[in-house]
Amino acid sequence: MFEILSNKRVGPKIYHLVLSYEQLPQNPEPGQFFNIKVAKKSSSDPLLRRPFSLFDFDEADKKIEFVYRVVGRGTEILSESKTGEKLDVLGPLGNPFSLKDRKGLVHLIGGGMGIAPLYYLSKKLRNSIQKVFLGAGTYEELEFFSKKFKGLDLDVHLAAMEEKLEIKGSALVLWLNYLQQETPNFVYSCGPEKMLAAVEKECLKNNIGGELSVEKRMGCGIGVCLSCSCQSKNEENKNKRACVEGPVFGMGEVVIGE
Amino acid sequence: MNNSRERNKNSFDLSVNITSDENRTLRLKNPLITASGTCGNGKELADFYDINKLGAFITKGITVKPQKGNQTPRIAETASGIINSIGLENPGVEEFIAEVLPEAEEYELPVFANISGYSEEDFFFLADKLKNCSELSGIEINLSCPNIKGGGMVFGTEAEKVFQITQKVREIYSGYIIVKLTPNITDITETALAAEKAGADAVAMINTLSAMKIDINQQKPLLANKFGGLSGPAVKPVAVKMVYQSFEKLNIPIIGLGGITSGEDVIEFMLAGASAVGIGTINMIDPEAGLRILREIKDYLARQDIKELSSIIGAAH
Repeated sequence: MFEILSNKRVGPKIYHLVLSYEQLPQNPEPGQFFNIKVAKKSSSDPLLRRPFSLFDFDEADKKIEFVYRVVGRGTEILSESKTGEKLDVLGPLGNPFSLKDRKGLVHLIGGGMGIAPLYYLSKKLRNSIQKVFLGAGTYEELEFFSKKFKGLDLDVHLAAMEEKLEIKGSALVLWLNYLQQETPNFVYSCGPEKMLAAVEKECLKNNIGGELSVEKRMGCGIGVCLSCSCQSKNEENKNKRACVEGPVFGMGEVVIGE
Repeated sequence: MNNSRERNKNSFDLSVNITSDENRTLRLKNPLITASGTCGNGKELADFYDINKLGAFITKGITVKPQKGNQTPRIAETASGIINSIGLENPGVEEFIAEVLPEAEEYELPVFANISGYSEEDFFFLADKLKNCSELSGIEINLSCPNIKGGGMVFGTEAEKVFQITQKVREIYSGYIIVKLTPNITDITETALAAEKAGADAVAMINTLSAMKIDINQQKPLLANKFGGLSGPAVKPVAVKMVYQSFEKLNIPIIGLGGITSGEDVIEFMLAGASAVGIGTINMIDPEAGLRILREIKDYLARQDIKELSSIIGAAH
């Protein structure tokens, strides 16, 4: 069982959940997710678990952290959960970001809640020069993330749709501006499908390697139900499961944004 | 828990005999069977527990040719239930025989292949392809998938069609045959009797209930396929009633399924008349559910002081 150490509101409908654990099947890697049962004990409603990308992990203190937005009943119930309550958590699950001693200039592009999985990734990318591009509807939605990334002493660039930060617009538009000045060695991105599709297009065009974390409506999270199938780009008639072969895919691996 | 209580628990007989023809005897060590499409091909659940502890395994549905399945979203959550429209994504029978079956050979429990078709001939073709596969203990004919256009469920809504297809498959396939039936019908006992008359060894009921969900923000159906099949605890009372009704008319065993999440649910289905049960949707939520359910069945038997689980089959009648 996992115990809630804190579950605080850190933005509009955005919560930061910190859990302590006794043991994990293995240490989670950046880009992996956990499947959390939000229904109260013995209730079958809501029936399915909810997948959340790992935001941060602390092996010494035995803590895992998530940042989530309240979008429906499941996350609403979770947001009402209090410190000290126990949660039924399955994981870590899914295919992580590859780190492979990544060197050189790395761009991290996160849109909305897609920012969450990039933080622990960023902590693990110690041998590279990182530039972080974050975007959301409003600055309020970015504030928590911005502080956390700046706490890592990183070069952080912000964009919001409604306020004039560095630019008024999305993380994508912000990043595209920088792409004209410099070419990164590798790109990691997570966010809305349209954004990912555009990031992928630019990377493939400019021969930049990278990885994308996709969000797909999941059923089981363990590869049995085939709800989250993504169409493979290279192999005809082949699908890849966002929960097992993903959620992190290489550029050009699956069809995105159609 | 002390040792004597543990010994006591092991002294229960959970086995069930689902034989209806002496040429094809089949006894399961317990009544739990994985419902098709909820356990992949076994490998996925093996990360969580030894699936050999279950009574039998039914594979994800296979078709003649590979299928990519329906567009996503393919799953919607509803009150105590889910609606799926996966659309039989599978690698096709050739790859199934080449890649999946060799893995199944290592399992120490009976394995059934679930077959689906877009035409009657598909079922006959698949039965023929699988007839010499020694890894299989039998096949389950899916006459009830609501998620494929022009196929599946339409075969299962007319007793006459159920009879014709089952009879022809029976001629081709000499092993154990389960016919999986749809609840989207006025009287399920008619199709169940048709399957029995045509030579099925058992019927499985129920497949999912045809259903839909509308996204009120987008003001559009949530599933890309618009319609799907409802499963989970929400459908259990419907399934229990259909098993109960069918038990009164059938001589062959009934495999009951629909929304089972606990040992108590299994007991309810068996009291209604099921000789074995399918566990489906719950595997998607609690991958270890099979083991927990077995423990809960034993707890029930201990409370009721019952030694043989099979003694309760149909006891509610």
